[in-house]
Amino acid sequence: MFRRIMRFILVSTMILSLTACGGNSLDSSSKSESGGDVSSDKNDGSKEKSVITITYREDGQGEKAPNYTWIKNAYETWDMKDQVELDLAPISASEGDYFAKVALQLQSPKTAPDLLTEDSFQLSADVEAGYLTDISDYVKDFPDFQDGKFYEKIIDGYTIDGRVYAIPYSADTRGLWYNRELLDKAGYSYPWQPNSWNDILEALAAIKETSPDVFPIWMNAGVATGEGTTMQTYEMLLYGTGEKLQDEDGKYIIESQAILDTLNMLKTIFTEGYGPDLSLVLNGQTSNTLYSEYFTKGKTAISLDGNWAVGRFNEDGMNPWPGYEDKIGFAAMPTQKGQEPGFITMSGGWGWAIPENADNKDVAFQFMKHLMSYDLYLNGICTKGNITVRKDIAEDEKYANQPFYSKASSLLDGAYFRPKEAKYAQVSTAIQTMVESVVTGTSPEDAIATYGSDVIRMVGEENVVRK
Amino acid sequence: MRKFIKDGKLPYIILSIMALLFALPLLWVIFASFDVNATQAFKIPTDWTIGNYINVLQDKLNQQAFGVGLLISAIEAVLVVLIAGLAAYPLSRYELRYKKMFMYTILLMTSLPITAVMVPVYKLFLSMNLYDSIFGVIIFMTASALPFAIWLMKNFMDSVPIELEEAAWVDGANVLTSIRLVIAPLMLPGVLVVMMVAFTTAWGNFLVPYILLNTVSKYPVSVKLYQFFGQNGLVVYGELAAYSVIYATPAVILYILSQKYMSQGFIMSGAAKG
Amino acid sequence: MIRESRGLGDELKKSVLLTPAVLVLILFFLIPIFLTVYYSFTNLALNGEGARNVQFIGLENYSRMMTDPNMINSIVTTLIFLVGSLIGQQILGFFIALMMKGKNSRFRSIIGPFFLAGWIMPEVVVALCSFAFFDRSGTLNAILQSINIPMVEWLYKYPLLSVIIANVWHGMAFSMINFQSALDNVPGDIEEAARVDGANYWQRLFYIIIPQIKNTIATNTMLNTLSTLGVFGLIYTMTGGGPGVATQVLPIFMYKQAFVSFQLGYGTAISMVLLVLGLIFSILYARIVED
Repeated sequence: MFRRIMRFILVSTMILSLTACGGNSLDSSSKSESGGDVSSDKNDGSKEKSVITITYREDGQGEKAPNYTWIKNAYETWDMKDQVELDLAPISASEGDYFAKVALQLQSPKTAPDLLTEDSFQLSADVEAGYLTDISDYVKDFPDFQDGKFYEKIIDGYTIDGRVYAIPYSADTRGLWYNRELLDKAGYSYPWQPNSWNDILEALAAIKETSPDVFPIWMNAGVATGEGTTMQTYEMLLYGTGEKLQDEDGKYIIESQAILDTLNMLKTIFTEGYGPDLSLVLNGQTSNTLYSEYFTKGKTAISLDGNWAVGRFNEDGMNPWPGYEDKIGFAAMPTQKGQEPGFITMSGGWGWAIPENADNKDVAFQFMKHLMSYDLYLNGICTKGNITVRKDIAEDEKYANQPFYSKASSLLDGAYFRPKEAKYAQVSTAIQTMVESVVTGTSPEDAIATYGSDVIRMVGEENVVRK
Repeated sequence: MRKFIKDGKLPYIILSIMALLFALPLLWVIFASFDVNATQAFKIPTDWTIGNYINVLQDKLNQQAFGVGLLISAIEAVLVVLIAGLAAYPLSRYELRYKKMFMYTILLMTSLPITAVMVPVYKLFLSMNLYDSIFGVIIFMTASALPFAIWLMKNFMDSVPIELEEAAWVDGANVLTSIRLVIAPLMLPGVLVVMMVAFTTAWGNFLVPYILLNTVSKYPVSVKLYQFFGQNGLVVYGELAAYSVIYATPAVILYILSQKYMSQGFIMSGAAKG
Repeated sequence: MIRESRGLGDELKKSVLLTPAVLVLILFFLIPIFLTVYYSFTNLALNGEGARNVQFIGLENYSRMMTDPNMINSIVTTLIFLVGSLIGQQILGFFIALMMKGKNSRFRSIIGPFFLAGWIMPEVVVALCSFAFFDRSGTLNAILQSINIPMVEWLYKYPLLSVIIANVWHGMAFSMINFQSALDNVPGDIEEAARVDGANYWQRLFYIIIPQIKNTIATNTMLNTLSTLGVFGLIYTMTGGGPGVATQVLPIFMYKQAFVSFQLGYGTAISMVLLVLGLIFSILYARIVED
């Protein structure tokens, strides 16, 4: 027996040491397998090509990921293609994990990519950490950016103290996607537009009454959905009360009637059985579950979500749904009591940034510019299902004719943005915990107490206020 | 009741029920792995298939992850046994002034939760250029497995009578030779236990590689499974279950192989005796 | 015969074989621990100001910890998790070992693997199995429904109980094996004498058997305590510490502060609490082993 074991160990060690020798090439060859090295001619050893590494988040769609096709198309048509090799290093992780991984990467020149996708809400914290390159001088050499083709308000989100740190590529708004048939059954003819939280609750009650087998509404409510819970759910409610996360002096409000109202609304939705089962919503796959199993099959009536949700239903989307234009509707989120301005939306977005520790900044910027050029970007933004950051694209027929886009884009005018402040990203994690606590049965008062102490720890007692 | 116990019937019944209860959590993973339409829900498959296994095994990235996982765990296990074995010798055979102190420190180290030191380890690895390196993961896992391994090895070695070694010394063997020829064969059960513990701990660890590695293609199978399970993306439950079964297999095989030595090892280890 | 030590030089010579272990341990174990201590007095962060400009902030992290309800919650959760797991693992482990003693060896070899399965398998697989077991449409609810008990969302209504049961499933076999080998070493003659004297089964169990293996019980308790304190992956993959903070034991709280909220300094201060807890328990352990 012992001999056999020893032989087994010996043989496996030998095999492994062989693999280990091959392990050096693991680095370069495997990248091309997993990341999809899209360089056309790797064996061209005559001249040294420079390499730029690009990091973005992917959901496990691999080569179907909109970012992948966008980058690949850009590379194929790039005039520097012969001198530069692309190394794609997507991070396959949940949203929260993506930010942690990126923050780890950015610390060292060895691991930092040359180009990365950056969520606008992380920007301040990353800039303060010194992770991102100030590209103010680079953009001088980017005519489209200078000539007012980008929305100024959006560029603003990526500018800190007058310095530009990223080129925005997507914007978004949020609202209520609904199933026309189910609403109709509940007595609401198309188009449905609630004017207060009460209107929503009434509709939910009616849906529950008329279609007992469906979940009347679905919204992110867990820690696992990260910023999606903060922004699509909590802030969409909170900002509708007229209060914001911070007061006019930039102090975080940690206790107020508005917060209580918001949490009570969530509590009502989940205790009255309007929301989905907790095990369906409190995990990172909830969007996929919602759109593949419930919404598209008429088993959920309303989804409070971003404008991009509709992108899934296209022919080449993740959950193709032929004829969806006539089956669903999009309503703006009303304020709490219908008070001014009547409807609200939060808006965020993503941009391309160059890490401070990048080794190939000039080339990276050239590629970034190319990515944002008219035709490539038009295709890119349409497959992503987001709202364009370029005015000229907004008027392009291909973009503008997408179902529901004009409505979603029109909400941008009155949109609220998240605090542009380095601690926001942390505060957001405290919000997620608070929301998850409430929907799983913690009293709103207790959840607020925990939230308060979390926020104090993060931003300091002097930067909070109770109302 | 007393008679029942004495007859020994009741224990058989209770044990059988307990065993069934312990098997329950396994049912889903086994059924789902053979189910064409597996979901999160528990059900007995109507369409059986081995397609889930084939799909998982055919995926190049999965194969690579298995390779990396084996590489990390096997090298780590070998390193742990070698280093701990060497260290155990002086601790077991010589009178050393610092020995007590040393053993205490080792004991304290065994109790440290690894999660607690991940932040500094990560910073340290960045500065040592070991971040995102498979070798770095191996060496850190080796370090974290060492205290317990040294402790076990010393106890095992204590139980090998020194007289046998003396004979070897008379024949002119040096320390290394006598370790190799006399001690190692005699404490083989112990060596196997240490090796198995080291291998399975490394094989099961997902946090260390998840934090210390960055390139997706360097992820071992544990991290892959964690991502499969704990993250976004469409979950194909049948494949997830099949993946889990395949992933658990090396640990099970290793256990079966070493089972003969296990109880012996446990008795020797002193963990059992105190 | 143990070779005797003759002076410092000799002692160094004898310690040569220890060098690789000592080097590896210092580099990758002791230095991180010292760094943990150091970082816990700083504002180190993964981004924001604390990433660029690390500053010594004295006891600030610790004083915050004192008033942080999350910290108190985590300590309480950790203790409940610990006590629940210990009771489950050890009592089950002990009685299964006791019942297995002297049983038909074929029977033992058939049912043994059932008990061992949860222990042999990697943590993530254990988490997945447990997750599927407690899921709303999972095995447990399927069984309950078949006997007309309405389904329960175990992971959201009884999250801590669910992770404790999962941990017991995972860790019970370790205790069982330990107790089995200890019980095998209990000499039968004393018990037999007691039986002749008229002691019943339970009397023999409590007055004869248990006192004889009390060292094993103590050691086993300590080892289980230490491993339970460090449980991270099982809970993290099952519940992520939630819902809310319901299963947020110390390692998860630490991980979340460090790698989700990016407050590495505060995270390491939490680590220090874990380290100190581990230290206290291992000193206890060392005492017992020494006796």
